[in-house]
Amino acid sequence: MKVRTDIVRMYIDIHGWVGIVSGLALFIAFFAGAITMFEEPLQRWASPPTRLAPPPAIEQTPLLVAKVLEAHPQAARSHDIILNTSAAAPARVMWSDPRGGDEHAERLTHYASLTADGSLQVIERGPSPVAQFIDVLHQQVGLPLEHEQAMPIMGAIALLYAIAIVSGVVALLPSLVKDLFALRFGHNVKRMWLDVHNLLGVFSLPFHLIMALTSVVFAFHDQFYDLQAKAFPAFHADAQAAPGPAPTGQPLPPAEIVRRVKAAAPGFEPVAMTYGRSRDGVATLRVRGTDPRYGLRSPTAGIVSVDPYSGRLVGTDYMPGMQDGWSAAITSFFALHFGNFGGPAVRWAYFFLGLAGAALFYTGNLLWVESRRKRERKAGAVSQTRSTRVLASLTVGVPLGCVAGIAATLAAAKPMADQATAGFHSAIYYLVFLAFVAWSLVRGAPKAGVELTAATALSLMLIPAASLAAGPSWFGDGALVLVDLVAVALAAALVAAIGPTRRRIRTGPTDSVWSDPSSQAGAA
Amino acid sequence: MTEARAAKAPPRKLSSKDWFGKASAGLLLGLAIALGVSGLLPRLGVGTVGYNATSGQFMMWLIAPVWAGVLSFCFLFGSGLRAWVGLGLAAAAVWGGLLVLGGVRL
Repeated sequence: MKVRTDIVRMYIDIHGWVGIVSGLALFIAFFAGAITMFEEPLQRWASPPTRLAPPPAIEQTPLLVAKVLEAHPQAARSHDIILNTSAAAPARVMWSDPRGGDEHAERLTHYASLTADGSLQVIERGPSPVAQFIDVLHQQVGLPLEHEQAMPIMGAIALLYAIAIVSGVVALLPSLVKDLFALRFGHNVKRMWLDVHNLLGVFSLPFHLIMALTSVVFAFHDQFYDLQAKAFPAFHADAQAAPGPAPTGQPLPPAEIVRRVKAAAPGFEPVAMTYGRSRDGVATLRVRGTDPRYGLRSPTAGIVSVDPYSGRLVGTDYMPGMQDGWSAAITSFFALHFGNFGGPAVRWAYFFLGLAGAALFYTGNLLWVESRRKRERKAGAVSQTRSTRVLASLTVGVPLGCVAGIAATLAAAKPMADQATAGFHSAIYYLVFLAFVAWSLVRGAPKAGVELTAATALSLMLIPAASLAAGPSWFGDGALVLVDLVAVALAAALVAAIGPTRRRIRTGPTDSVWSDPSSQAGAA
Repeated sequence: MTEARAAKAPPRKLSSKDWFGKASAGLLLGLAIALGVSGLLPRLGVGTVGYNATSGQFMMWLIAPVWAGVLSFCFLFGSGLRAWVGLGLAAAAVWGGLLVLGGVRL
């Protein structure tokens, strides 16, 4: 396709600059995001066998709820009934309340069961927080900030990312047909990285457009709504109709609700129920569930409001298969970001698309560093400027530090077991991450590239090592061994990369940031 | 650059040199246009505003592609000034329409 050369050149410039500003943050978002595709199994993998008594049968649940409400009346405001309990959600009944009564304080979650003699057991030790930590790392593009501070930065990165996508496509359009399937693994290393970068970019283009635009909304939805509310008087006109008179009689037991919901919505598999009270004291019930035929509004579930007295479906805005066009469109945006449609096959596809995205940003950074070398040499520089060296070091240290940090903190879930907290997991991640970045800056990109690749492979091997040390009691589900196998596969891929990296350092152009004069002197 | 070469070159050759003028117009006026569109469409009978209805949520979602689109293509303006004028006119048209249709709080 023909595009004016000045436009192409302009967009290549823009692509380079927005890419280099956002690339490393996007690497973290995509690597952590790819892992988050398996947040639920990962949480089961990382959670110690619970000390809670086995959950009572769903028919016995009203007895458990009655005992909970007697001993902990605050649970009446909101509590969950988990229909299929697992290591990730061990209790039949759980609720959370603010620590120390302050409404804005951090919330403490309680997990309840009935012991063999029928008495109430409540514990505060929940499933592992590590999967949630990795999810938040993904949402906040790796920034250790409060959510409110991290979101605008993430949103700015997402906007840069959108510009990068458009500019990258425009830059590639004139040579698209010629370059797309060409993978030139030859003497010209930059050509090879460019071919890989283009291939990854073009084939995951729709995925990247979805991620960029949904992330802008995830970052700024509060601000968008605030602006709309300020500007448009119609904003509050459509408030929900007041609920009808409070029903009389007894709510139906959960087992009966499940039966009626399933009858009303065949194919919908309820997984959890949230009982609560509206502001005017009316009992409310939301049922979360899955339906592999549809995309889901929340990362793992669709939601339906149910009348707790009759089991009638009263709010189907977020109910898979029962939505109007607007609702289904909104849900599709969420579902396309979360990859929660079509079952495990789509989750695996998203996992690989996420890893490919991370690779896209990594190769983008490599290309930037390499182009800068050539430009600086043309301008007369004989050695690399300090800023290019620093950038090369960050291009090595940040991605590897992210991978190793996630691996180490995930592996630590098993030895820490009941002592694990989000704080510990965060400390381990950032300790490893910052150590990798510092090492890379001190040692320089070439040496650190080899050393940190090996160190990252070792960090990944901590995951199966932790599993071996913890023993089979942690594997409630045999399929969880996939977590360990994926870690081993990633480690093997990194080990395979060590050889070529070494070769580049010894035999590549000596003015490159990837060249290490001392090793070349040794090789000569 | 010699005058002869300058005369030969196309009248408005684009480059990334004037990026700040264009990008600032795309960022600020792009948001103004996107916000205006999200309020204008409901006045024209498409959807609503407000998060209570999913059609209102859809209108909020619409802000992202419009904003990101303007921000991505604002570089095609000949200069920063042209970007501010062009996008300013577009924003004025959208908000003028809203004003006429009575959809905006004054």
